[in-house]
Amino acid sequence: MRTIARAPVRSDVWGDGRLTDLESANPEKPFPECREGLSTFLGVGRHIVHQGLIMGERTIGLPAGFRDLIFDAAERRRHIENQFSAVLGAASYREVIPSAVEYLDLYARGNQGVRDRAIRFLDRDDALLALRADFTPAVARIVAGRLPDLHPPVRLWYSGPVFRKTGRHSAQYRELAQIGAELIGGEPPAADAEILDVALECLVRAGFADASVHVNHAGIFRGLVNSLGLEPARLAEIRSAIDRKDMRALDGRLEELGVHGSVRAQVGALSRCVGDERALEDAAGSLVNGESRTAIAALEGLAAALPRWKGRIVYDLTEIDEMEYYTGVMFTFLSTKHSAELGRGGRYDSLMHEFGADLPAVGFSFSMDTLGECE
Amino acid sequence: MTRRVLIALPKGRLYDRAVGLLARGGIRIPDAAGTSRKLVLADEQGRYEFVPLKPVDIPVYVESGAMDAGIVGSDVLRELESDVYEPVDLGIGRCRLVLAAPESCVLPRGGALRVATKYPRTTERFFRGKHAHPHIVRLDGSVEIAPLLGLADAIVDLVETGRTLRENGMCVVEEVSTVSAKLIVNRTAMKVKSDDIRHLITQLDTVVYEDP
Repeated sequence: MRTIARAPVRSDVWGDGRLTDLESANPEKPFPECREGLSTFLGVGRHIVHQGLIMGERTIGLPAGFRDLIFDAAERRRHIENQFSAVLGAASYREVIPSAVEYLDLYARGNQGVRDRAIRFLDRDDALLALRADFTPAVARIVAGRLPDLHPPVRLWYSGPVFRKTGRHSAQYRELAQIGAELIGGEPPAADAEILDVALECLVRAGFADASVHVNHAGIFRGLVNSLGLEPARLAEIRSAIDRKDMRALDGRLEELGVHGSVRAQVGALSRCVGDERALEDAAGSLVNGESRTAIAALEGLAAALPRWKGRIVYDLTEIDEMEYYTGVMFTFLSTKHSAELGRGGRYDSLMHEFGADLPAVGFSFSMDTLGECE
Repeated sequence: MTRRVLIALPKGRLYDRAVGLLARGGIRIPDAAGTSRKLVLADEQGRYEFVPLKPVDIPVYVESGAMDAGIVGSDVLRELESDVYEPVDLGIGRCRLVLAAPESCVLPRGGALRVATKYPRTTERFFRGKHAHPHIVRLDGSVEIAPLLGLADAIVDLVETGRTLRENGMCVVEEVSTVSAKLIVNRTAMKVKSDDIRHLITQLDTVVYEDP
């Protein structure tokens, strides 16, 4: 019989710096000295381990995708919220605390991805309910329900958790903390400039001195696509290629669809428009349809209204994520220092209409989890 | 402090070709070929850092932002339904994902079909598009043996030359999709590390399409 020579296997199994000899471990009592290391690692008391509860039976803990914030982490979050609250209060925004439970139907309006990810359950009468999965529809419900007592423009802010399903063993949390503000009933360009100004001020006051914002306008791409005259199914394919930034696949598909070379060149040009004012000039130079040009002019107006934030504003006309939802300006807030997306926002003028009130709306929302983790 | 751009390289059949493409684009990784057991490899200019990872993990790393970019097969991307940019189709590792069955087998009609695959989600999407709902058995390897052993009636698996299928007495019923390796990029990294990421995209795009 052949025997295979094996080197002694030693490993730092519990991550505490002590090497354990795996080969000679006593099979009766495997790694007895490591139990304390494991219990410390898991954050459970020794007595629970000693009662043998850790391996087979249930310990008292949290379901996957949830966590506690304890002491420093909690204080950090509270500090950020206080800074935001001070800036927003000074700008005449008032707080709302929407209900934590909604009818699932609420999320049939607005951003469609949210409905599929809502954590749902049944009411006593078997109506479908959901844990709050997004703040904006709740805010829209509140404001629409309070009209005409509320006099637009309505300025409000919120802070709290939303809950969303994730894949099994996903790296994402199911409870996400958000803080944001909405300006409902305010017209562009003044309202857009105001909300962007407030958002950047919040970030700076909360310690994100390097925060920048990537700005786009849904009308730029929509105008270009509308000028192609494609049917909805083809449009979805095109949108998907653009969303993946797969410009070769996009160009090939447009060619198959018989789109003229000069128009394809416009799509290609748009995919390179990122940067300062020159990116806008480039776009204006290559796009010929009226809707795109109006949208570019709106972005120029936005920058002109915010001289204080010049240098913080990056035009990124390539980003069309969530373009179904936004109708005008779109914001993505970033911290270069932390390589992180801090939040998003934009104008969604059709949302209030879905709640029976014809009011334009613009807002932003930050991930409090990300803000808390960037120090 | 901004870290250098982190790029995931796929261990296995794509590894050498991925490293070769990068080198032709002027991004050379001195330690890539050797027996080095380093976890992180730097390129010559110190602009990028490369981490060899198991392909199926790469979209998870890139989508979450733990890695900024990566090279991975579109089979894995579609299976994981990852939300990442795919700016360059690298054209390497070309093969087909197919529905295959034993030559002698008559596929049962209706809902009784059992399909073994490493790609359960892709398979489900494929059959849903045909208004069929077979029983899908998820396996991790040697899928082609499942029909022989009676575990399934058919398989959905990658085919490069078709030799494995022929050797196991199977034939292609229908193509599910064509597969090739893609450069994928994290959505936030595209913005916050845009200079380095754009350089990477341009170099690879040039190598693949203008200097093949």
